[in-house]
Amino acid sequence: MQEKENHVHYVRIDEDICNGCVLCMKACPTKAIRVLDDGVAHILGCCIECGNCIRACPKGAITSLTAGKDALKMSKHHIVPVSPVLYAQFGEDVMPNDILLSMRKAFDFVYDQSYTQELFNVATGLYIREHRNQNDGHWPVISPMCPVVNRLIAFRFPSLLKHILPFATPLEIVCREGKKWLSKKYGCQPEDIKVFPVTACPAKMTALSETLPDELSRIDGAIGINEIYDLIKSDIHEVQEPDEHIVLNYLSGVGIGWAMSGGEVAGLDAVRSLAVSGMKTTIRYLHAIEMGLLKDVDYVELRACREGCVGGAFAVTDKYAAKHSLNKLIRMFGSEKRVNFSYAQKLYREGWFNTTRNPTPLSDSASRLSIPEAIKREEDLEKLLKTLPRKECGVCGCPDCRTFAEDVIDGRTSVDKCIFMQP
Amino acid sequence: MKKEYEIKARDFVRAGKAAIGVQNILKSIGFEQDIIRRVSICAYESEMNVVMHGADGSLLLGVENKEIVLEVRDSGEGIEDIELALKEGYSTASEEHRDMGFGAGMGLPNMKKHSNVFEISSQKGNGTYLRMVFWVNGNRE
Ligand SMILES: Nc1ncnc2c1ncn2[C@@H]1O[C@H](COP(=O)(O)OP(=O)(O)OP(=O)(O)O)[C@@H](O)[C@H]1O
Ligand SMILES: [Mg+2]
Repeated sequence: MQEKENHVHYVRIDEDICNGCVLCMKACPTKAIRVLDDGVAHILGCCIECGNCIRACPKGAITSLTAGKDALKMSKHHIVPVSPVLYAQFGEDVMPNDILLSMRKAFDFVYDQSYTQELFNVATGLYIREHRNQNDGHWPVISPMCPVVNRLIAFRFPSLLKHILPFATPLEIVCREGKKWLSKKYGCQPEDIKVFPVTACPAKMTALSETLPDELSRIDGAIGINEIYDLIKSDIHEVQEPDEHIVLNYLSGVGIGWAMSGGEVAGLDAVRSLAVSGMKTTIRYLHAIEMGLLKDVDYVELRACREGCVGGAFAVTDKYAAKHSLNKLIRMFGSEKRVNFSYAQKLYREGWFNTTRNPTPLSDSASRLSIPEAIKREEDLEKLLKTLPRKECGVCGCPDCRTFAEDVIDGRTSVDKCIFMQP
Repeated sequence: MKKEYEIKARDFVRAGKAAIGVQNILKSIGFEQDIIRRVSICAYESEMNVVMHGADGSLLLGVENKEIVLEVRDSGEGIEDIELALKEGYSTASEEHRDMGFGAGMGLPNMKKHSNVFEISSQKGNGTYLRMVFWVNGNRE
């Protein structure tokens, strides 16, 4: 498929381990995977980096490239923003402080994102109220947080790109502000400060390839939670020395909640919101939004992973156990925002949250045809589909009969690849 | 091209499948966003009406270069007073349907608004037939 070169992605299939079963191919929501004649799976179409194939592969043949923890050695100064998912990985009795402290030993500047997340919540509320009053905008507004959802929208729901909140994400803000601030402190260029977030999300690396005009908001690589799990675990101990408490900057229950589905909208006051998670449900809601069925809703938090970021492919702990730990932490830290409202309002007015990201559609092979040609193609497809057995077996190397028919019509495979169609 | 979707009455689990199917086909052909949106809204509203008020029926999508046509029929009770049914806010939806968020009485008025040609015929006891035409690029010929 032609898209291959256009969309950089970081998911890799190890050809030596892959045995050519159909599970990853069937799990892929964009039908980007094919098992070719060489007997192994390949990513040929538009990968949105949801990680479903990674989770589906029984052989562990699929991984997503990250910067890896060794990347840190290449830069003198780096910031490591921590996803709150990390706090739920070591059991309910291990406190975020202990984790951050353990990380401080290995990394230069470890940063919890609660503060930025709270600011972001306030700004989101202000944006919605301002635009609802002026009666402009596209409703509902969609959260820009999940990179997989953003790619899914760009690929399958381009008309909804206008709905995505035009804000930099808290991570992008941490990146931009952190680089500015630390470079001043160390007397170097902002570009010399590298940012490597610790995350459960295999799609975070896309922020690298998406060309932002504003270089400062770009991360320099992601580190999977699974990659540093042992390192942190081996060093976790309870905070004992008084000076160890100083690691804490600004942890809050609001920020911790962002690890789970519903956590972002929990921090939104007086806004009609919905939180939806999981790929299938997310796609269903995107269809509904596209049909204008949710116009009365102000804000939709969509997360491709079930239960939200705790369900990310790089998480180590089971998502439901993780939720239990997080809920306990939220009760402990409280669910009140502590950020100064008028300060957040001032930042909002100054455009501090605005993004230079300009989401564009990811193209599709059929879209290069003229309307009459595309209608003819659709007719041929239907005709061919009627002759196929609809066993949806995947033996032909395509995820389902419909996709097989598309590949035949577009000349990427031949009908005799279907074991039921052989003479 | 033509494509037919079955609609099962009172099957709220599958409801919406036909509309999503229509939306996907129009997208893969590459029509403009606005016409896809209008056709999908009408497909959805008419599908839901069959599910809620009608009996088993079907939705037929017809796509040509210059127009998209939706034909929706069911063999249910039909509509006694069509003029009344077309009024904004008129609805006979049950309590149960209202709890699910339907019954604003906006389905038929919206279909009329979003289509270029809107035809409805129905008789008490004889089912309902709807035909909607959407001109590609506002084209009339
Ligand atoms: N296929 C049908 N069979 C029988 N009656 C119908 C059918 N379609 C519509 N009606 C009647 O017409 C009325 C108005 O339909 P309309 O779609 O405008 O509103 P609604 O379905 O009641 O509510 P909404 O569409 O806003 O959820 C319905 O309440 C019903 O009485
Ligand atoms: Mg209706």
